[in-house]
Amino acid sequence: MTPIFRILLIVVSLFTTYYILKRIRQSKLQIEYAIFWILFSGVLIVFSLFPWLVSLFTRMIGMQLPVNFIFLLFIFVLMVKLFFTTIELSSLENKVKDLTQELALEEKERRDEQKKLLEETNSVKDRIIENDR
Amino acid sequence: MKCLVIVPAYNEEESIVRVIENLKKHYAAYDYVVINDGSSDNTAELCRKMGYELIDLPVNLGLAGAFQTGLKYAYRKGYDYAIQFDADGQHRPEFIEAMLDKIQEGYDIVIGSRFVTEKKPHSMRMLGSNLISLATRITTGRKVKDPTSGMRMFNKKMIAEFALNLNYGPEPDTISYLLKQGATIAEVQVEMDERAAGESYLNLSRSVMYMLRMLMSILFIQNFRKRREVKSK
Repeated sequence: MTPIFRILLIVVSLFTTYYILKRIRQSKLQIEYAIFWILFSGVLIVFSLFPWLVSLFTRMIGMQLPVNFIFLLFIFVLMVKLFFTTIELSSLENKVKDLTQELALEEKERRDEQKKLLEETNSVKDRIIENDR
Repeated sequence: MKCLVIVPAYNEEESIVRVIENLKKHYAAYDYVVINDGSSDNTAELCRKMGYELIDLPVNLGLAGAFQTGLKYAYRKGYDYAIQFDADGQHRPEFIEAMLDKIQEGYDIVIGSRFVTEKKPHSMRMLGSNLISLATRITTGRKVKDPTSGMRMFNKKMIAEFALNLNYGPEPDTISYLLKQGATIAEVQVEMDERAAGESYLNLSRSVMYMLRMLMSILFIQNFRKRREVKSK
């Protein structure tokens, strides 16, 4: 890994961390969702500061260039992250659907009840008027 | 002086009736509300049949969202104090009074703690508890002996703050953050029972994830947060 590449990784990681923390500070991001990005940035910074670690892993899986290991890591981690994000998105969409249906059904039931109540009072009123005649 | 007992319940059909009957019979002085967190079992139907005070969430929000619902209710109704109370029978209502006495001395939060006078046993779970205590101590300089206790009482100011803000889950990292921000927190010795029914939420991988989240949050993230105080009604 060239020094420029290492510096680039560090800068990008620091910027990511800064942006995530800013969102938390503004109360616009939940802490659960920040953990992944801060950890990921941390790992990149560690690899940039100690490139022998990367070389070690590169040799371990029989790759030629350390930078390829970094790319592989990126692709793997982001793929797994995307996979879980898809699952979360699906369950979230399902929840929004349930919630919307629940609200609409409740509203319809409430109106039905009101209508029934109104009809009952009207029929009682009619009967009273008839009795008076 | 009004105190609300908030009972978040997720799939607690086996224990909810016993817990609420006990509250109603022996501790009628406190108002309570069950928050059904989108249970897939008969928790909500049971509560309706028995005529319990119930807020029925149509989808599952998780403990933080369910408990916040209870606090929003407390906030709207103008309660002075609110306490988080488990539906699985672990928490014992006879200790609510001691906690109420303590919070009336002017504390923001009172934790029903298992280890004020009692010693912590040695187990994996307590190792986690110790680590969180240590992290809290490092960042705030204050000692919380039982940070993972779920039995916590909040005053009016905290009810408003928890009800209206993001990242105010009922977890040790929020406690640590508030301590850092100058909130006053006390602990009162309580005893807890083993859960009567149902399975614990924590298995090994969840526990590891939980610890990772808490430690990162307490040691790092909470240092960068800005507090937004809310005026209580």
